[in-house]
Amino acid sequence: MNGWRWWLVLVLGGVLVVGWWWQGQKTAVSTEENSLIPLLSEETTDGFALALTPNAMTFPRDLGPHPDYQTEWWYYTGNLETADGPPFGFQFTIFRRAIRPPDQFTQTGSDWRTNQIYLAHFAVSDVANGRFYATERLSRGAIGLAGAQAEPYRVWLEDWEVAEIAPGQVRLYASTDEVTLELTLTQTMPPILHGEGGLSPKGVEPGNASYYYSIIRQKTEGVVTINGRSHTVSGLSWKDHEYSTSALSAEAIGWDWFSLQLDDGTALMLFQIRRADGTVEPASAGSFVQADGTVLPLHLGDWELEVLDTWRSPTSGAEYPAKWHIRIPALELELTGAPLMPNQELTVSTVYWEGAVAFRGERNGRAITARGYIELTGYAQSMRGRL
Amino acid sequence: MIASVHQAPLWRTAWRRLRRRPFQYLLLILGVALGVAMTVSIDLASGSASRAFQLSTDAITGKATHHVIGGPTGLDEAIYTRLRAEAGIHPAAPIVEGYVVVSELGGQPIRLVGVDPLAEPPFRDYFGAVGNELSLLVKFLTEPNTVIVSAETAERYGVVLGDALTLRVNGQLVTARVVGLLQPADGVTRTALRQVMFADVATAQELLGMVGRLSRIDLILPDETAVSHVRALLPADALLEPASSQSNAVQQMTAAFRLNLAALSLLALVVGMFLIYNTVTFSVVQRRPLFGILRCLGVTGEQLFRLILAETAVLSLIGSLLGVALGILLGRGMVRLVTQTINDFYFVVTVQDVSIPLFSVVRGVVVGVAAGVVAAILPAWEAMRTPPQGTLYRSTLEGKSRRLLPWLTLVWLVLSLAGGLLLWWPQAGLTVAFTGLFAILIGFAFLTPPVTAVAMRLVTPLGGRLFGVLGRMAPRDIIRSISRTSVAIAALMVAVSVIIGVSIMIGSFRQTVTQWLSQTLQADVYLSPPGVATSQIGDVLPEDVVQTAVSHPAVIQAVTARHVAVQLPELGRTVELVAVDGDVSAGQRAYAWIDGQRETLWARFAAGEGIFVSETLLIKEGLPVPPPPLTLLTPEGARQFPVLAVFYDYSSDRGTILMDRESYISVWGDTAVSTIGLFVRPETAVDELVADLQQQFQAREDVLIQSNQEIRQEALAIFDRTFAITAALRLLAVIVAFIGILSALMSLQLERAREFGVLRATGMTLRQLWQLTLMETGLMGALAGVLAMPAGFVLAWVLIYVINVRSFGWTLQMRLEPGYFGQALAVSLLAALLAGVYPMLRLGRIVIATALRQE
Repeated sequence: MNGWRWWLVLVLGGVLVVGWWWQGQKTAVSTEENSLIPLLSEETTDGFALALTPNAMTFPRDLGPHPDYQTEWWYYTGNLETADGPPFGFQFTIFRRAIRPPDQFTQTGSDWRTNQIYLAHFAVSDVANGRFYATERLSRGAIGLAGAQAEPYRVWLEDWEVAEIAPGQVRLYASTDEVTLELTLTQTMPPILHGEGGLSPKGVEPGNASYYYSIIRQKTEGVVTINGRSHTVSGLSWKDHEYSTSALSAEAIGWDWFSLQLDDGTALMLFQIRRADGTVEPASAGSFVQADGTVLPLHLGDWELEVLDTWRSPTSGAEYPAKWHIRIPALELELTGAPLMPNQELTVSTVYWEGAVAFRGERNGRAITARGYIELTGYAQSMRGRL
Repeated sequence: MIASVHQAPLWRTAWRRLRRRPFQYLLLILGVALGVAMTVSIDLASGSASRAFQLSTDAITGKATHHVIGGPTGLDEAIYTRLRAEAGIHPAAPIVEGYVVVSELGGQPIRLVGVDPLAEPPFRDYFGAVGNELSLLVKFLTEPNTVIVSAETAERYGVVLGDALTLRVNGQLVTARVVGLLQPADGVTRTALRQVMFADVATAQELLGMVGRLSRIDLILPDETAVSHVRALLPADALLEPASSQSNAVQQMTAAFRLNLAALSLLALVVGMFLIYNTVTFSVVQRRPLFGILRCLGVTGEQLFRLILAETAVLSLIGSLLGVALGILLGRGMVRLVTQTINDFYFVVTVQDVSIPLFSVVRGVVVGVAAGVVAAILPAWEAMRTPPQGTLYRSTLEGKSRRLLPWLTLVWLVLSLAGGLLLWWPQAGLTVAFTGLFAILIGFAFLTPPVTAVAMRLVTPLGGRLFGVLGRMAPRDIIRSISRTSVAIAALMVAVSVIIGVSIMIGSFRQTVTQWLSQTLQADVYLSPPGVATSQIGDVLPEDVVQTAVSHPAVIQAVTARHVAVQLPELGRTVELVAVDGDVSAGQRAYAWIDGQRETLWARFAAGEGIFVSETLLIKEGLPVPPPPLTLLTPEGARQFPVLAVFYDYSSDRGTILMDRESYISVWGDTAVSTIGLFVRPETAVDELVADLQQQFQAREDVLIQSNQEIRQEALAIFDRTFAITAALRLLAVIVAFIGILSALMSLQLERAREFGVLRATGMTLRQLWQLTLMETGLMGALAGVLAMPAGFVLAWVLIYVINVRSFGWTLQMRLEPGYFGQALAVSLLAALLAGVYPMLRLGRIVIATALRQE
């Protein structure tokens, strides 16, 4: 139930337009949020489907798109290593946004006509060299330029795609002038349903929720090519798929999302929505996934999260948390960790930090390590005061 | 000898003279000014039109380095998906474009450009200034018939956000809503986008009837590797071209047209040069006594030479500046004419402003001053050679002039031969041909003095018999001042020959076109979509209209035609292809060449054995007769089509291909119909069918029904529109010549004040003096008129058989009408006689004693 990601998509939905298009090329950095506030508030969710009932998802049907919901994303992150060590991180996300509710949109003669816009973010962290490569692409969900389908499962934006090549196995491909990623992800566990049977609340109002599932601990193999040099890699990937229609609570300013895959076969997902007054949104939640796939839902108060260090981005000037201590007493779980490299900030149409992390700690008194991804949004906002 | 003489006193003498005889100098200035005004106005008008097109093309091209273009109906949009989604070619942007007429925006053609806003940023950044409203983009993408126009255009026509616009597109009226206003930051873009309207690709496809098709795909390709990579991905009928090739093609398309205009405007300057020569010579001759004295005082010949040249240069500069100003004023009127022709023949362009590039202005001034100085060299040379205290009489000069006459005849011969050679040179370009034309024309001018001398000598006895002493005096006077009389005659002759030549050319052209129209258009009724401009091809008739018309009971035969543009890959250009299912000329069409028997020609054509090509294509591309098979780009790739015949076509100078409809459909799979020609049953009146069809298609804007007569009238109207600018140029040349002859003759007569004083003193009556004056000017006018006839004929011949063929590939039948020659004679006589009126009036006021005392 990535509440903050959802927020991200709302921002992206606006920014993809305001930033990318109307501002032409000079979109560079963030801070469109000023102009986004009225934009988002005037936006209506009327006419879109709402996430209301638990246990509504079935597979493989719900691997595909849900155009009646306003926003949707397929989110892949993973930690990879070459045989002799140097680690890589990757993020590959395809966002879908309906810019008109289905009841206010009519398909006309041209196949280009659509109310579905797709946006993709692709980032690779080359930890050994301390380089971070991030790119954004945008396209309409028409004439085969971008789209998603359940059977066979495929999500694509132009030639960037995640496509089923065998049952439980997908190929992930994305490429820019500098970086090419070609991976095979093999499913090892059934989909994990977050929240209440996949219904993940974002606030107290009914319908202010998303459908949210993950396919975690996917065995990953492939090749990362950076500036012409290819590296054969393997590791673990995490997929989130979430769709919803909801308004953003006015107090929210950003969120912190954690996905950690522990070396004992378990996994942890947590998100905290930060509010302007410094408090955390009560609907913030998480899931602990046992090695057998059993999900233990976590609620605010079940965990303690402490930021031990921060890092200031030289690009955006934003100050991000850079070292954490997580404690979940009920699970006897205690972890401390930090990013594999500090600068994993995406300065695309919206500015956020999303990067590979490593944690170390104890569970049930046994030493444990974890790899994963953390997403930090809403920090570049602090620029607003300075501009 | 005095070592050095300061120039200042010399300048003072020049200034004093200028104040005493301002009128002469005024005429010099006017001569230069009119000549320069002509060249500048033409330059501005044709320049503005091509710049306007260039600007909007560049603006639309944006940062694209290459375009993918397709066949007659554009590109399959799947190619875009293939490039972008399968091959990952990035960045790439789709474009769907066409022309629409928007009544709310001044009723002028506007370029409707369909873009994918999400693919735009790497190419064009205009949308940065539309506004920060998400709702705007949402409307633009999701709602049909939404457009964005430039804020400037909107303001100009009082259109505001949310207004509905009525678009006439493809013959249909469609309502579109303005959802955004573009406010480009810089002036150039603002100008470029005035005649552009943006829509989403989906909207543009729907509005322009291009669902599933794209006009082109824009690409930014960094190197040749990328170019060949993309090329390998394209289907056979798609071409990958550098972005510059489109505007280059446009430049080439109109090059001949613009060169013709420029040459005609130069003609006016040549006439102006005669005028300058005349004035300067005159001022030198009059100052000979002064120069003689100055030489005695130590002024060197060189100083006098410089004085005359400098004097002329200053006056020419003033004239040129005036000319530029006048040219700019004229250019505003001229641009409409030029734009209309370009719209009729080449491409759709709307020019709202006449841009005034510094280059045109500078060139106008330089040409004006240079013309003045060149024309003054001879008289300045003459001034330089004034002997100190020599015989201060003009007779010296005139005596010399007479000795020059045989040499002038030789110059004429040389120039004519050189001109003939230049015109004959088959591979030479248009500029060479025009140089030849000018050489011949100037040759005729050189021939004028010897001819004048001979003619006047011949006329003298006749004059004596008819008018007594006066009749003998008049021609002798002309011979006596031959250095100036002959220049005036030559100027008038050149101007009048231009009138004759251009009139014959236009007349022959019109006759040829009329005849061609009556041969080619045999069908009784024509149906066509009301296009944006004549040059715009590709519009189609609605299917129900086609059905109704073809199956109408009064129709005995219907000939449908599909007009499209196809690529000729070997020649690197496009050509208009007309796919027909019958002969609209009912066998009357005239052919320049036929392969085999004429009787079986259409049967073979209908069987798909080959195509017909227009003579213009053949001539402009320098193809031999019989023509080799022509290579066209088809969906299956380049394909050769044998040529069965070459037909005459005066509807376009870009070349046309006729293909039978079945072959066209089998190759391109396009079954649309652009126009229909209907043959009416003999028992039905044409008007009845027209009335009936009009009744059936009542209140429809998407079909134009015209009878045979109407369509011919329309074609001739376009023809006349095209030549309106030529006619305007001809008129201006006449005005320049008229002022020239006026100034020359007036100067001549005024100069003779002392002589007239003597004549009056020796008993000549005022009435006799008037007769003498009129006789002299009349003789000069008549001679100019007579000389202009052969010159005009030669000019017409060159225009018809060399210039037109090389410029446009049109062969015309020359048609001489006695009227042209009669008119020319009348014009020159009238001009000459009118020029005598003012001196005559002055003569009336002459005080004999004063006249005698003068000088």
